Order: sequence, then structure tokens, then C-alpha cells
Amino acid sequence: MNSLFYDTYTIFWRELKRYKKSRSGVLIRLIQPAIWIIVIGNTFSGTQPLIQSVGFEGQYIEFMAPGVIILTAIFTSIFGGVNTLWDRRYGFMNKALTSPISRSSIALGKMSAISLIAALQASLILGIALAIGVTFPNPIMIAPIMAIVILFSLGFSGISVMIAATAKSQETFWGMINFLGMPLFMLSPALFPLELLPDWLASVAKLNPVTYTVLLVREMMTGVSEGGVPAVLSIAVISVFVLIMVGLASYVFTREVNKPF
Amino acid sequence: MLYSIETKSLSKSFGDLNAVDDISFSVDNKEIFGFLGPNGAGKSTTIMILTTLLKPTFGQALVSGFDVVTQPKQVRESIGYVQQESTVDEYLTGRENLLLQARLNHIPKNLIKQRIDEVLELIELSDKQNDAVVTYSGGMRKRLDIAGGLLHRPKVLFLDEPTVGLDIQTRRKIWEYIKKIHKEFDMTIFLTTHYMEEADQLCDRIGIIDCGKIQVIDTPQNMKSAMGNEVISLVIENQNNEKIFLSQLKEIELIKNINEDQNKITLFASKGTEVIPKIFQIASNLNIKIKSISLKQPTLDDVFISYTGHEIRDDDGKFNRKREHAKMKRLRA
Repeated sequence: MNSLFYDTYTIFWRELKRYKKSRSGVLIRLIQPAIWIIVIGNTFSGTQPLIQSVGFEGQYIEFMAPGVIILTAIFTSIFGGVNTLWDRRYGFMNKALTSPISRSSIALGKMSAISLIAALQASLILGIALAIGVTFPNPIMIAPIMAIVILFSLGFSGISVMIAATAKSQETFWGMINFLGMPLFMLSPALFPLELLPDWLASVAKLNPVTYTVLLVREMMTGVSEGGVPAVLSIAVISVFVLIMVGLASYVFTREVNKPF
Repeated sequence: MLYSIETKSLSKSFGDLNAVDDISFSVDNKEIFGFLGPNGAGKSTTIMILTTLLKPTFGQALVSGFDVVTQPKQVRESIGYVQQESTVDEYLTGRENLLLQARLNHIPKNLIKQRIDEVLELIELSDKQNDAVVTYSGGMRKRLDIAGGLLHRPKVLFLDEPTVGLDIQTRRKIWEYIKKIHKEFDMTIFLTTHYMEEADQLCDRIGIIDCGKIQVIDTPQNMKSAMGNEVISLVIENQNNEKIFLSQLKEIELIKNINEDQNKITLFASKGTEVIPKIFQIASNLNIKIKSISLKQPTLDDVFISYTGHEIRDDDGKFNRKREHAKMKRLRA
């Protein structure tokens, strides 16, 4: 158990080192969410009446800012596993696999690094949101919000690592990621309230862990609760999602890396 | 523990391709053992089985006394593995790469710094240790890779094609390092190569492997002398008494075979240096003028050809096509 922690930390350390050295990557990954919040946030500002109809009093941009924070977390973490493919292609994986560390610690180290990186990127977007005028009634909430983002990203990094371990090529990986990422984001109240969705779509959205994360983070940022989902339920759903994904990812990763690449 | 590495009827097939086909061999403690063969001969597959990356289809392999299938963790604790391609992280510094390697191999915290300093010294990279690896030359990366494999003082060090893609000078330099670490750390080294010269320079014993099978295992010296002969080539001036000359040459005991092509005579002999004066004596008795004479030791190239029936080559069309096909099939699956 002790060595599982140590080994996980070893991989975590390596992933973060690599992230730190790729400064251009940090900025590039910010461009897309920044465009979302600046362009979509302002373009849709006329939709305020729609938002108000579900009891939200503020600006549209304040409504969607938590959604874009989650968007950043989703995409940073779901893309994050891609270096698993490089590691297998360029031999680092074999180096790790022939050392005494356990297979699951490689997966866990990658996942924890990815989720921390996702949270760092999300916090930069939060900074941009504040800079363009999104207000924050309760600044103390920033710590628990980041905790939720890290937890949530851990689940998505699990999806990413799992797909990367299963996919044998970049093409397969990106195909799968695009197939999953956008729908999971769109089928959530990130941009518009669930109440505006047709019933059947709303029921599908209720199965999406992104929905609960957006609702929870928005409640923490704006103080407005919507859709009748209590925070406790959201936390429970996110936790179960993360536990399943982390467990599944370690299992699938261990199984897949034992096969020849 | 009798042997450092021992395999019994080890086999690995991918579909209907037998990449490793019923090979049995053993490597002594502290020996440098080389697998010599062309690409696609089964060298890397064997190394991947011995390093626990692949499970054999059939047969058994023990590394440092542990079974690679049932005791992979113990095997991993006793080996170092330096892969064919460079596996260091380019954007990390040399030292950071070694630190990562040290942690992966569970070197006790209080020893890490000392061990890293030690191997950096050994491979002469101390002054470059804080530069990002992206600035290193190919040879420096390889040295760093090898250093990473040494940090935890493995009992068995696997080197997969340690000098492939390096220029001649760098290759020689790497050989020096390999000899140096073998002397310093007293470990068993198992290496694969498709360079004759490399096997000849480094290895105590060589196994020639082709098409998944071991053709022969012996010391480089024995292999060459098993060929029996040194090769003497001489060119004489065209003369009438050539026939007599040849018949007299045949009477020299040490000469085993004579080939004659117009003025050029090729002799296969043992103890060539003793044969040459005798040739001169006969020639001067018969008043035959020798234009040139040369004595050549058989090379491992000659040995390889004599065991496999073909020259070592980078791609044997038939075998490789089949192998590539199987690989592509696996990739698509």
C-alpha cells in the first residue's frame, strides 16, 4: 500500500514535470474555453429572459461561466490521457512496466496529474471570467469549487486513460474522445437551464455526471440553486462516478498494457 | 542459482508466425552474452519475454532464478532494461530523468543522490546533468539511457541494440562504457545486436539467432576457429609449371582446401602464418614468381553466413513481410 502511494507519486511527479515544461501548451489549452466565455457569453447575453424564467437573476455570462469552467475541466482531462499512447510508442511505458512499480500506480499517477492540471487550467478560466466582469458573491467558495473540479476531472481523466490504453492509434483515441466529449458537455445545463430542454433530452441529461457538477459549481458560485437537485445529491453522484471511473480505468489500463502494443 | 538466465524450449508465436521458436540457452553469472541476428530474427521478442513484457506461448524462462511468468515482480526487481530506442523524457534534464528512473526502481531515498552522481560520473555526463535532454546528442542520450538501467545495480542488464543508429566513433565509445560498467558493477549483460563487430568486441559468448531459432552458441573465438581456416590468397605470374606448384602445395599438411582461378589461388589453411613461408619455399624451388599474397582471419560475417546460409541483412523479404503483416493485423484489431 505504501509503495502504491510512492509509485503513484512518482508517475504524478513525472507528468507534472512534463506539463510544467510545455508552457506553450498551457496557453493553447486556454484559447478554446476563453473563446467560449468571451464570444458565447456575450453573444447570448440577450437570452437573459430565458435564464430569468428559471429563477436566475444575474447576467447570462454569470450563468454560463461555471459551465465554461467545467468545459475546461472536461476537455483538459479527457485529452490528458493521450500521452499514454506516446509513452507506449516511445518506450517510457515499457520502462515503467519492467520496473517493480505496479501497473495500477501508473494509471493512478497519470489520472491524478491530469486532474490537477485540469483544475489549474480551470482556475485560469475562472480568472478570465472574473477579469471580464463575472462577480463572485462569496470568494471563500473558491477552494471547495476547485476541490469539486479536481474530483470531477479525476473521473474524466479515468475515461481518457482508459480510452488511451485501449486505443492502438491516435486516430482511434481522438475519434472516441470527440465522440464522448462534446455530447457530454452539451447534454448538461452548462449553457442553458435543463428546464429549456425537451423532456426526453432532460431525462438523458439527468444521467450525465456533468449535469450535477455544473449545477453544484453554479450553486457555489452564484448561490442560486436550480432544477431541484440538492447539493448533497450532486456530491454523491460525482463521487460515485469518480470511484467507478478510477476503478475501471486502473483495471482496464492494467489489462491493456499487459498486451503487446 | 546456477545461471543468470535460463530458457527451456521458449516459444512465442503471433498468430501463425513463430517469432521465437523453441529456444533453450543459459547465460552464466557475470557473463556478457550476445544475441546476434538480423531484424526480425526474434531477438527483441526474446528480450521482451525475459523482461516480463510478453508472456511466452510455450516453454519457461528464468531470470536471476525467478520465473518470468509466475514471479514477474522479482524478475523486475533484479533487471535493468535499456531499450533500443531512447526512452528518456526530452524536456526533463538528465538528472531529472535519472531521478525518475531511481524512483521507478525503488532506490532508497537516502541513496538516490549518491547513486545518480556515481552513474553520471561513470558515463561522463556530470557537467551536462542540468541541461534538458532535448539538447543532448544521440550518443549522450544513449549513455543516459544506459545510466538509467544501472542506477539500481541490477543483477542482469538487458541492452537491446545498444548502438543502433549511432555513428562509428560513438558506437566505439558506447562499447567502452559497456565494458567499463561490466567491470565496475560485475553484472550479467544480455545484449542483442545485428552488428558482427559489436558482438565480437563485447561478448564472452554469442548466440546466433535467425528465423526464431538459435543456430549456434559459442565464444566468438571458437566460432571463428571452428571455421577452421584462415584464408590465404595469392596471385602468381602465369607459368607453365603451375600444375606442379599446385600439387606440391596440396602436400602441405596444414592446407585443407585449394581453389584456383587462373592466376589467383585461394588456400584455406589452419596456422596460415606457418604456411606462408612454405609456399614461398616451394615457389622459389619451382622458380615461380608470386605477385602478391594476403592472409585473412575469418570474420564473424563468414561465421554467420556459414550457419545461416545467408548474409546478415536488414530485411529478409519473406520473413519480414510475414512479420509485418502479423504486426499490422494486431494493430488493427
